[in-house]
Amino acid sequence: MDLFAQILVNGVLLGGLYAVMALGLALVWGVLNIVNLAHGAFIMLGAYLSWHLYTYLGIDPFLGLPITAILMFCLGYAVQRGLLNLIVRAPMFNTLLITFGLEVVLTYLAQIAFSADFRTINPSYAGAHISLGPLVIPLARLMAFGVAIVLTVGMWVFLLRTRLGRAIRATAQNLVAARLYGVEPRHLYAMTFGIGIGLAGAAGGLYGTVSQINPYIGATLTAKSFAIAIIGGLENPLGVIVGGLVLGIIESLTVAYVGATFGDVASFGVLVLVLIVRPSGILGKTA
Amino acid sequence: MSKTLTRLGCALLGAALAVYTLPAFAKDIVLGASVQLTGSSANTGRYYRDAYEFAIDKINEKGGVKVGDKQEKLALKLYDNQSNVNLSVRQYVQLVSQDKVDLLLGPFASNFALADSAISEKYKIPMVQGGGASDQIFSRGFKYIFGTLAPASNYFGSTVEMLTKLDPKPSKVALLYADDAFDVSVAKGTRPLLKKAGLTIAMDERYTSNASDFNSLLSQIKNANVDAVLVAGHETEILNFIRQAKSLAVAPKMYSFTVGVPSADFRKALGKDADYAFGMTAWLPSPKLKDKWFGDAEQFAKAYKAKFGYDPDYHAASGVADVEAVVEAIEAAGSTDHEKVRDAIAKLNFPSLYGTIAFAENGQIDLAQTVIQVQDEKLVPVYDANGFVEKPKYPMPAWNAR
Repeated sequence: MDLFAQILVNGVLLGGLYAVMALGLALVWGVLNIVNLAHGAFIMLGAYLSWHLYTYLGIDPFLGLPITAILMFCLGYAVQRGLLNLIVRAPMFNTLLITFGLEVVLTYLAQIAFSADFRTINPSYAGAHISLGPLVIPLARLMAFGVAIVLTVGMWVFLLRTRLGRAIRATAQNLVAARLYGVEPRHLYAMTFGIGIGLAGAAGGLYGTVSQINPYIGATLTAKSFAIAIIGGLENPLGVIVGGLVLGIIESLTVAYVGATFGDVASFGVLVLVLIVRPSGILGKTA
Repeated sequence: MSKTLTRLGCALLGAALAVYTLPAFAKDIVLGASVQLTGSSANTGRYYRDAYEFAIDKINEKGGVKVGDKQEKLALKLYDNQSNVNLSVRQYVQLVSQDKVDLLLGPFASNFALADSAISEKYKIPMVQGGGASDQIFSRGFKYIFGTLAPASNYFGSTVEMLTKLDPKPSKVALLYADDAFDVSVAKGTRPLLKKAGLTIAMDERYTSNASDFNSLLSQIKNANVDAVLVAGHETEILNFIRQAKSLAVAPKMYSFTVGVPSADFRKALGKDADYAFGMTAWLPSPKLKDKWFGDAEQFAKAYKAKFGYDPDYHAASGVADVEAVVEAIEAAGSTDHEKVRDAIAKLNFPSLYGTIAFAENGQIDLAQTVIQVQDEKLVPVYDANGFVEKPKYPMPAWNAR
């Protein structure tokens, strides 16, 4: 019983981390209709950024998250403004191609710049834990989970309540009407992509604190984020939390009770199931 | 706007390509290889590139290879397989059929050597490889593949022997391994060793290569109250395993890993948390290992560090031994004829900085694994064929008592 509870806790915390990773991808996909295959590569860059801030400037990875996010936001804004806006209304296939290309370029530039050495962001509390009776809760993961909740709820409030958030939603729903009301789509697209990449950067900082960083972590993170975005649905940031939790818990239980090679089988199995039963995601509207 | 972008894109592409293509020299004896310079295995792949280049430069500097009565120079034709097995197979075909290299050196990792050795066999051109240890590579009756890594099935051999001599003696063992050719071979070889030593296998779990989350497995290890954990996997997985063991406060009496521990980069990434981890290596930079070109292993290690900026581990030494084996065989055969060189390789028996190079009937070398442990962030040999070398730090204390 203790084991089951512990596995469940592990799954929930893993799900939190997954949710932060997928948050930016879901936003960009939902609003711009761009499936950003370079999302994982941006997470990787965010992780390196946090690592540099921590290693050379001694900035705590959690306190450094806003810095990482802001710098990554600027990068994202520039990439959308200079590159992706050229193809934003082109067929989906073109956006897939260009973001895939971006993924490759970022990954190899990262290897040239940072080498293939493994890095870890290892503050004193990275291995600390809280004991709750027989349960052990890793502190860094708990903090990452907290950040996930704050960011997701923050995103939700931002999209519903602020002027910019409303403009983003309006553009996603009806571009022509939004333009009639004075929305400048090029700037708005770049803002949205910037926010998405800023979130990816923050996710990278968290990932580096609980796992390890090398230039090649991007592709698998993109695949995970993609699955979570589909499972949770794109309409509502809260869906991403649900998607992340579902995936985290299912993976943990499968690894423990079915076999350690079946984690991915289970998570992508759920993905297929969701696509069949609720194509717009668990929290999405049913058609 | 779009023109500037195109130019920028081209510049970036050009820069990326410039890094890929390595110069090939039209010199006398060309050795061909495809290794992982980019992609997920780039971290270990570089050992082979650096080792091959270092050995070839050194041998050329000392006069080159004596073929009959002529002295000839060596050259290297190297491709980056981007950590992609299919690409590496195509590159070996290209090396043999288009570049017409004289002899082949190997890639890193068992799954690569397993696939690429089919090419050397098909074209009947000898390949000496120091990157694949899986027994599978050498169990197919192939005649043109030779390996300088000790058999995977015996990686944990010396470790299991040591387990029976530790006090308090561990009884329950967990065996975790990744689902690739090398690690499956390790697990297959370790099970009978554990049974023979009278140890109970409390957990026997295969996991997906590149897994990043070990929380479930670690919770099971804690729950099963395992004394010793043996993990056969890749460096990234083992980094995650150790970090997550700490954050879940899982501290068995000992844990040991097939890779990572001998590598300086791995220990640096973990810092103090690498302490107490056991591993194994078939090579240590000892002055006792004499070498015709480098003097001895200790001098080699110093020169290597000075040249590349990081410490060599057994991968690098094994790569150098491959080049030396090819050179010795060409000199013995007096030609670069594939058949003659193959037969000469099979008969080799010479001392090198890596150990005595002599291949068994199946093409694989046999070297004893020395058990090593990280103690105070330094690598310490703990147990070898003659028993304990230095005192192992055992049992491992709880994480909060370190």
